Amino acid sequence: MIFEGAYKRNERLLLGALGLLIFAVFWESVVRLGYLNPITASSPSRIAQAFASQWHNGAILKNSRIFLFELTVGFTLAFIVGVTLGIAMGVNRLVEYAADPFVWLIYASPTIAFYPLLMIWIGFGSATVITVTFLLTFVSIVVNTMAGVHAAEPQMIRVLKVFGGKPIDIILKVIIPASLPLMLAGVRIGLSRAFLGVILGEMFSSNAGFGYDIAYYAGQLQTATVFVSIIILIVIGTIINLLFTAVEARLFAWKAR
Amino acid sequence: MHRSLLAHRLAPLIVGLLSVSLFLLIWEIAGSTETVRSELVSYPTQILSAFKRLILSGELAQNTLISLREFGEGFAAAIVIGIACGVAFALSRTIRYLFEPIFVALYTAPIIVFVPVLVVWFGIGTTSKSIAVFLSAFIPIAINTTTGIEEISESWVRALRAFGASRTQIIFKAMLPGAIPSIMAGIRLAIGRGIVVLIAGEMYVSMSGIGRLISIYSVAPDGVPEIFVLVAVVATFGYVCVLLFSLIESGLTPWRSHS
Repeated sequence: MIFEGAYKRNERLLLGALGLLIFAVFWESVVRLGYLNPITASSPSRIAQAFASQWHNGAILKNSRIFLFELTVGFTLAFIVGVTLGIAMGVNRLVEYAADPFVWLIYASPTIAFYPLLMIWIGFGSATVITVTFLLTFVSIVVNTMAGVHAAEPQMIRVLKVFGGKPIDIILKVIIPASLPLMLAGVRIGLSRAFLGVILGEMFSSNAGFGYDIAYYAGQLQTATVFVSIIILIVIGTIINLLFTAVEARLFAWKAR
Repeated sequence: MHRSLLAHRLAPLIVGLLSVSLFLLIWEIAGSTETVRSELVSYPTQILSAFKRLILSGELAQNTLISLREFGEGFAAAIVIGIACGVAFALSRTIRYLFEPIFVALYTAPIIVFVPVLVVWFGIGTTSKSIAVFLSAFIPIAINTTTGIEEISESWVRALRAFGASRTQIIFKAMLPGAIPSIMAGIRLAIGRGIVVLIAGEMYVSMSGIGRLISIYSVAPDGVPEIFVLVAVVATFGYVCVLLFSLIESGLTPWRSHS
């Protein structure tokens, strides 16, 4: 009975772990039984070995540092510019109409295809990675912030004006709080796009980082080492998602759920 | 009143057009007079003639067809398997929980990280690109199918069951039609993801396709105008895809009013 209750409570977690286990055992045995080439197919045990050696030579820590640096800088710049431009576009019609076509153009165009151009303009390395991360990220924040500003109640703004509020008061006390939910939705989309931006940048225009290592070791047919980088990226991504969800819950604690 | 309505409708268009034409004009002047080095930034008329050149040489058509085929194969498989997975997840919680970590993992990492491995496994040809498109597209479709089915009203299913409908009938008469708007939202999301991974995959390593052309012209000494043309082609393709699927959606759901 006790076990049954514990199972019911953790069903999702237990079944998920079981699914992963089945997947890993299947993979390992298919390779061990010789149905797949162990070098190119790799296997869980080979990935574990590759993880140990990547950890000992410091590649994992170094790549994580590069990745987090590029992600943080690109994302922070995108956040500042995105929120500022989004509010400006939301408050002022003229700015909105003038900037709108460009924002949608960047939003809709495959930024990846601009990589070669950015490499020609900016060069090889972190600066290009950060620029693409910025470009990919800021548009989703702009679009959502603007929509959020539009969602602000005109009546509240009028009340503030009547009581002598300055434009800065209106922005800080009405517009930003009102646009927060949509703005955060934009930030969330932006985060996953920033993730993509950093990896694309490292794969195509850099000589360091997980993206570079993935391309490099695949070229050497060291599939197990490639999977080490992939798994760490998934772990980092999951941690960032969880953190974001926690922040969101904090910010909207006052909201009825 | 009438005038202000007209102004309200036209103002965004006029201001938008003005700002875009101003941008194009400055670009043209800066580029063609070499105020800014044109081999770096090109300029609009140069891009137009590059467009003409790419069409006349047949390069554009040939590579676009290959990219289209890769995208079509991967995306068609993603729709079929994605919807099937989504239905299975909605019907059985056990199946969903078993696969959840693998799905979350595939959804968290950009699929481009798998492309180098796919190339090792399936070669540098079109197969590895189709599979990459499939991987990046089928997850949002599956997730949205499950959510869509969960959101349809319980009374539909109960009504069908009361009149003796079989499980298959319930899936095809209530669950799938009810989930169409949500599935279509997933497809729209999948289009963007699929295009990025396709172009990036072709740029990574391939023998042909739009991404291959982009990487060829990015190392050519004066390939900048061609890159702009190719970027525009890819953007147009994405736009057409989204448009096409919204048309399909309105065709599939005639009971909803589309304004």
